[in-house]
Amino acid sequence: MGSKTITSFFRIVFLLFLQALVVSRLQLLDGFVLPWVYIFGILMLPFDTPKWLVLILSFVTGYFMDLFTGPMGMHMTACVVLGWLQPMIQRLLSPREGYDAIQEPTIQKMGLSWYLTYAGILTFCHHFVLFYAETLRITPFWYQLGHIIFSAMGTLMLMVVGQYLIFNKKVKN
Amino acid sequence: MKNIIELLKRHFVFVLFLFLFVFSLAVLFSSNRYHNASFVSQSSDWVGKIYDWRDQLQRYLRLKEINDQLALENANLRSQLPDNYFFIDTTKHSVQDSIRKQRYFYRSAKVSNASVNRESNYLTLDRGRLGGILPNMGVITNGSVVGVVSSVSDHFSVVLPILNPKFQESVKMKGSGDFGLIAWPPGSDPAYADVKDIPKHVQVSIGDTVLTTGYGSHFPADLFIGFVSELNDQPEENFHRIKIQLATDFRKLSYVQVVGDILKQEQDSLLIQQQQRDGVEDDN
Repeated sequence: MGSKTITSFFRIVFLLFLQALVVSRLQLLDGFVLPWVYIFGILMLPFDTPKWLVLILSFVTGYFMDLFTGPMGMHMTACVVLGWLQPMIQRLLSPREGYDAIQEPTIQKMGLSWYLTYAGILTFCHHFVLFYAETLRITPFWYQLGHIIFSAMGTLMLMVVGQYLIFNKKVKN
Repeated sequence: MKNIIELLKRHFVFVLFLFLFVFSLAVLFSSNRYHNASFVSQSSDWVGKIYDWRDQLQRYLRLKEINDQLALENANLRSQLPDNYFFIDTTKHSVQDSIRKQRYFYRSAKVSNASVNRESNYLTLDRGRLGGILPNMGVITNGSVVGVVSSVSDHFSVVLPILNPKFQESVKMKGSGDFGLIAWPPGSDPAYADVKDIPKHVQVSIGDTVLTTGYGSHFPADLFIGFVSELNDQPEENFHRIKIQLATDFRKLSYVQVVGDILKQEQDSLLIQQQQRDGVEDDN
């Protein structure tokens, strides 16, 4: 608790606005690639955040994203799944000595390959649920799977590039 | 009882997850069925304001394009002024004028948010109930069809555009007057749509104009919908497979007109009366 919590909170709010006002407007390959970078706020929650708080925060984030994007429920469903999986994936990928010394899951602290695995799994799961919650059908299967995978890759790329841009200075000091 | 509480405590996070998940799914399915009316109208005003603010910024950057569009529309309207026409047959026209009554009225509105590349697209307009907009009014721009108002709050309204699978409207071919239904395959190119149910014996060729019928009472008759761009007829089917290029460019929508039908209630209630009367006779 304390300054870390406040930072996390403002990060989530900022990303919601970034998503609604800028990223959702990107038309990559006619909407085939649709990045949802607002989940970065959930992925960046400190390791010691209680599981129930992760869930509640994800749910609330999804609710506000739904307000911005249209039919209610899509982002709520996807984010609840994300918030449930996030602590599980963190435990699954935990290093032998645990996360004691490290507070936040960033590339600088955990390394690129760890981060890609962690964020990759969660982003794919979130996009998968989100996309099927939106369409509620599975017919052009390969097209839809391609849409999910490429959107997830777009999200992942934006999150990785964003981290290199934002956190670079902190590491040097 | 104590055991149950212990169990709940131990699996508290999982129980919380299940609760939130089921709740989200319930919201998802109910909002899909009812055009998201109940959940959005509570807060659509402030979300609308945020989008409006973003739109003001964007519109400033697109002023030139919008000016061109408005100038074009002005020119179109000016060319329709009665002064530009002369009467071929005075008696006929003067009689028509005296019995003519206004049926449709138009209100202008600004698009404050729009999506085009989703499975189901929606538009948000910056006018709502207080601006005289009601659900089921038609929305047009420059004489071509945009969509139908689906829900309204005090200051904003949500429109189901052609680019939404729930949009349903009958259309007709300009020359022959045969009518069919317009359908947009979910998630496809926002510049095109399909026309169904036009029988094979009707001659259709590429470039033909597709217009509104005026039956649904969302729109007056003879508004532009688009032009036939492709024919993919299958030999085993009885109907044409027509692909049309839409007259409205949804990516550049900015100002629209909302069409109200003064006689809509009268038309609808007459139909309902007739249906009820028929229903009673069937029972006997």
